[in-house]
Amino acid sequence: MLDALRYEWTRLTTLRSTYWLTGIGVLCALAIPVIAGFAAGGDPIDAEITAIMLNGGAAFGIPFLAVFMAIIGIFATGHEYRHGTIQPTLTALPQRSRLIMAKLLVVAVVTVVVTLVSMALNALAIAIFWGEVPGLFEDPLASALLGYLVYTLVYTLVGLGLGLLFRGVPSALVVIFLMPLIIENIILGLSFLPMADWLVPVVKFLPFSSGARLLAIEPMVIPDYDLFGRWGSGGVFAVFAALIVTAAWILFKKRDA
Amino acid sequence: MITATGLYKRYRKTVAVDRLSFDVRPGVVTGFLGPNGSGKSTTMRLMLGLDHGEGQTLFDGERFSDIRRPMNKVGTLLEAKPFHPTRTARNHLRMLASANGVGDKRVDEVMELVGLGTVKRKKPKGYSLGMAQRLGLAQALLGDPRILLLDEPTNGLDPHGIHWMRDMLKHLASEGRTIFVSSHLLSEMQLMADELVVIGRGTMIFNGVVDQFVRDFTQSTVIVRGPEAAGFVPALEGAGAEVAKGKDGELVISGMEIGAVGHLAFTENVELSELSTRSASLEEAFMSATGSTEEFVAAEPPTAPATEKADGADNA
Ligand SMILES: Nc1ncnc2c1ncn2[C@@H]1O[C@H](COP(=O)(O)OP(=O)(O)OP(=O)(O)O)[C@@H](O)[C@H]1O
Ligand SMILES: [Mg+2]
Repeated sequence: MLDALRYEWTRLTTLRSTYWLTGIGVLCALAIPVIAGFAAGGDPIDAEITAIMLNGGAAFGIPFLAVFMAIIGIFATGHEYRHGTIQPTLTALPQRSRLIMAKLLVVAVVTVVVTLVSMALNALAIAIFWGEVPGLFEDPLASALLGYLVYTLVYTLVGLGLGLLFRGVPSALVVIFLMPLIIENIILGLSFLPMADWLVPVVKFLPFSSGARLLAIEPMVIPDYDLFGRWGSGGVFAVFAALIVTAAWILFKKRDA
Repeated sequence: MITATGLYKRYRKTVAVDRLSFDVRPGVVTGFLGPNGSGKSTTMRLMLGLDHGEGQTLFDGERFSDIRRPMNKVGTLLEAKPFHPTRTARNHLRMLASANGVGDKRVDEVMELVGLGTVKRKKPKGYSLGMAQRLGLAQALLGDPRILLLDEPTNGLDPHGIHWMRDMLKHLASEGRTIFVSSHLLSEMQLMADELVVIGRGTMIFNGVVDQFVRDFTQSTVIVRGPEAAGFVPALEGAGAEVAKGKDGELVISGMEIGAVGHLAFTENVELSELSTRSASLEEAFMSATGSTEEFVAAEPPTAPATEKADGADNA
């Protein structure tokens, strides 16, 4: 297993895209508190605004860092197929499950570390403009930030699973971006129409929308929709990721390389 | 030593590899020969567990997927030469090496060995076909393995490169390693290999030493010319030979030794201006062995000088 981890670590760190994707993700996230700081530094801020600044706009609907980390996740598996390196990889590491396990572990640890660093940088930016980060270690902010960490991690693992499932980069990118932006929003929108109200019970199981509730300061309430709370919604998102990764894993064991 | 038993692989309707069993011995180069699409690459992927099929391959008694740090035991060069475009050649090898406990020093060593020392920090996407092939060989040699499995390693190499590859493989075999190398060119294998596994359409055609294959599948014919050659045909056929007319009116006789033809001409009182033997070229031997089993047979060009072309290919 150590060999597989070493392999995956070398793979990730010898790839230029790892650096610029992480860099852009962290910088985009950092831009939010910096811009806000220049625009309104020193004005009083509440937990909601602080959360948005700490997670770089994710709570606002644009999870910059998660998106870039998810691309790293897609590359972890999709690149092997896009560039055909899966064959030499498997002649160096023929135990397929060990390879997938190593990819999951390395990418997960990198994602968690990068997200923590990003939050720390954003907190630093807030501290510079506002002199302090109010309520950082108190609920609801603390839970929302933990939720953000989980969200980024799960989002990245969905990417890794999709790359492996589709054995390529483009289709995985399409799914991971179109699904939350278009499909889930269409389903949500339709469910408001009386003729499609049978969609209402489906809404609380929409994976990406559920994932987004991990970051919320105030629980989202739509009457009659009976949405799960923060961790329940996070669970839906995590189960979705687990399903994708498991399906991809099983197929990877069965298919020809 | 490689022991393959009952290798079988089917893609939906096509059977790509049909119950192949063979041994590859150490100390010699074993050529794996077959026309395009005959299943060489599929067989090799099957042996390495990259493709799932039936049968079993043991490398010095172990299945590939059971070998801990396999690059140290079995070096492979597969058909596609896959590299990530932005990762340097050296990093590509470092990545694979890291999975097998091979250090950076060895990475630099093999890159020197294959002659890529000066370009090791370049990206393989800028490599020529021959350089990519050398990088592939470097990858196979990383763990200094006792067994090498190479799929068409001379593809894309110039004559100098082919020569180099041939010497390299012979040298590696002379150190007691087991070398299994595929090709679709018999002429190349005759120079490089000691033993042959020949397949056509996924089935075994021949397994043995190269010279035996050439002898078995090379028919020599007797050529006769003379002013009355046409009148000689009935006598030849009466004696059990098969006679065909050549392009310039010569007789091409098979199924009869040259001495017997000469004697028959003497007893029949036929004047001859030429009596000679013609051996089929290696390529012709290969084609006669695999021709009926060839997967993709091109239409004959309208006026093909068949023998000249075969000779040309042989010398190439
Ligand atoms: N992934 C695949 N899906 C379907 N058919 C395949 C696949 N790979 C190979 N085949 C078929 O299997 C047969 C053997 O192909 P293979 O590539 O093993 O031949 P080869 O001997 O390596 O040929 P070449 O000399 O051209 O490299 C061919 O008929 C090919 O069409
Ligand atoms: Mg091939």
